[in-house]
Amino acid sequence: MREETRREAVWQFLAYAFILLGAVLTLVPLYWIFVASTLDEQEFLSTTEPRLIPGDSFLQNFESLQARGNVQFVGHPGEMTQYVDFGFGYVYYDVWHLWDLGALESSIFVAVVYTLLSLVLCSMAGFAFAKYEFRFKKPMFYAILATLILPIQLLVIPLFLLMSQIGLTNSYWAIILPWAANPLGIFLMRQNMRSIPDALLESARMDGATEFQLYYKIALPTMKSSLAALAIILFLFQWNLFLFPLVILEQGKYTIPVAINQLVGAQRVYYDQIMVAATLSIIPIVVLFLVLQKQFVSGILAGSVKE
Amino acid sequence: MSTITLDTLRKEFDSGDERIVAVDDIDLEIRDGEFLVLVGPSGCGKTTTLRCVAGLEDVTSGTIRFGDDDVTDLRARERDVAMVFQNYALYPHMNVRKNIGFGLKLSTQQSSADIDRQVEEVAEMLGIEDLLGQKPKELSGGQQQRVALGRAIIRDPEAFLMDEPLSNLDAKLRSQMRTELQTLQHDLDVTTVYVTHDQTEAMAMGDRIAVMNDGTLQQVGTAEAVYRSPVNEFVADFIGSPSINLFDATVDGNRLDGPGDFGYRLADTTPVEGYESVRVGVRPEDIELVADGIDIETKVLEPMGNENYLYADLGGHELTARVASTARPSPGDVVSFTFDEDALYLFDPETGEALKTKTEGERPGEDGHVEEVVG
Repeated sequence: MREETRREAVWQFLAYAFILLGAVLTLVPLYWIFVASTLDEQEFLSTTEPRLIPGDSFLQNFESLQARGNVQFVGHPGEMTQYVDFGFGYVYYDVWHLWDLGALESSIFVAVVYTLLSLVLCSMAGFAFAKYEFRFKKPMFYAILATLILPIQLLVIPLFLLMSQIGLTNSYWAIILPWAANPLGIFLMRQNMRSIPDALLESARMDGATEFQLYYKIALPTMKSSLAALAIILFLFQWNLFLFPLVILEQGKYTIPVAINQLVGAQRVYYDQIMVAATLSIIPIVVLFLVLQKQFVSGILAGSVKE
Repeated sequence: MSTITLDTLRKEFDSGDERIVAVDDIDLEIRDGEFLVLVGPSGCGKTTTLRCVAGLEDVTSGTIRFGDDDVTDLRARERDVAMVFQNYALYPHMNVRKNIGFGLKLSTQQSSADIDRQVEEVAEMLGIEDLLGQKPKELSGGQQQRVALGRAIIRDPEAFLMDEPLSNLDAKLRSQMRTELQTLQHDLDVTTVYVTHDQTEAMAMGDRIAVMNDGTLQQVGTAEAVYRSPVNEFVADFIGSPSINLFDATVDGNRLDGPGDFGYRLADTTPVEGYESVRVGVRPEDIELVADGIDIETKVLEPMGNENYLYADLGGHELTARVASTARPSPGDVVSFTFDEDALYLFDPETGEALKTKTEGERPGEDGHVEEVVG
């Protein structure tokens, strides 16, 4: 008995040590980016030793980043010009000029729209593949999975041609739509939705639910934690897209990765600004994770059917 | 509330290359307000039959009627029946109140306040009014069961369909819920089809019992009718606990010779006329220990308190007898038994069809049900 508890303790220790190691390996580079963003470029380049104590040049670096002419990182209040005159005052209606988007806001906008759209499509497709029988179900599913092996590099040219034909060049839709039905997302949702007991859906059918209500009122709420996990995967996927946005978007519409890339000039690499931009680009991800974290509670299906 | 009529109902499944016939041309009428139990061993097609009635399975051929309406091609949600599932299938993300009210919310135009009021009425009827705010996972098995029932009751449906609703409860709760369900069904007077593999439950609960095997309906009748006058060996074997003793015997005039020491003189030879051998059935409760009769060797004695179950050897066959609690033979003891000819069952050895049953009541009529048998 004592032998057993000791062994358990050892395993637990090893497990924690492993997790800790993973956490350190993940966090150190992020911390280093943050520290680097607070250093003056001279300080940054003059030392070969990694520094662990932040400096005080963050705001200064941020200002020089914002002062760049070619790319706008964080947006600023815009100028509205369209208004209706009511006699007693003006009401501007071109609210989309309220704020001029920078790369950060562009990225957030694109990633949020993409994530929401893709969650809807992936969960619908996953639900169909998991819970319905239809002709060519298997071949269709495998075909969708097979698209996972196509690298983006291969798709850039055909996608560009397609987008220019339908008039979406330099449009955010061009980087949202091609991946909206994300094969990985469909696969994940299908796998998870298979765990929804058939009896639960049948029970709702008996209660008078339509097939869409099964999806909307039963499947989606029970899949909350999977949806939250998928949301992070999709958001990150869109957040990190680089090659295609670089090709299809023009300067004023750059997303964060493309904008950062502009800081690598032919003559000079603006390390200090890159580090500030990188630090800024991490913040939305951290916020998203913190918001969705409480959804990662397992066992939402618990108590639904008695085993 | 209505009569449910199944007319040559057939359901086949594809399984790889072969077609499996789950329900084989069943004719059955479930009367208005009746509590009918579909009973049979697992895989006999009883659940499939129920699911066809529910509209969860498409039928291969045949028709299903509720009253005069043909519902064969209607979807589950258009049939106005409620179903209680074996595993309850409660909506895990909704609390009890929403679970019970879900059906009304979807299928009627009633206001939330109206629905709430009805949910509370039903909850009170089931004694779960304190649990309305809780989620299914916070409830015990019995409470979950009540919520599942509440969900069915509130819809005030044409019929209740229940698929082994009590099989996940422990023994004590099961018998308690059994009584409650019967009372509830009696009070609500809703046509109910109840599926179980447990013949005790079937006997205890059903107004009538429909015994199924291999996708076919064997017999429909009251508990007493199927017990006393089974139409064939399968029904005789399936109904009754402990189950009936069955063995082969040769017919020699008025004499039956079976395994071991078994020999029995028939007063009435009409049932065995024309047979060289028959299947003999004797219920454990009809066996009487006597000083001079058919010898058997005691193997195990199980005391039940009010009586003892005696398991004995009859020429290589295990024979079960329910004997008085005062009878206590030890393993190895040879005892003697006999039984009344009235209590003897005889079956055709080829077809299993009953030649003689306990009391010569009426045979099932063309419409598949047995009239009350006067014992």
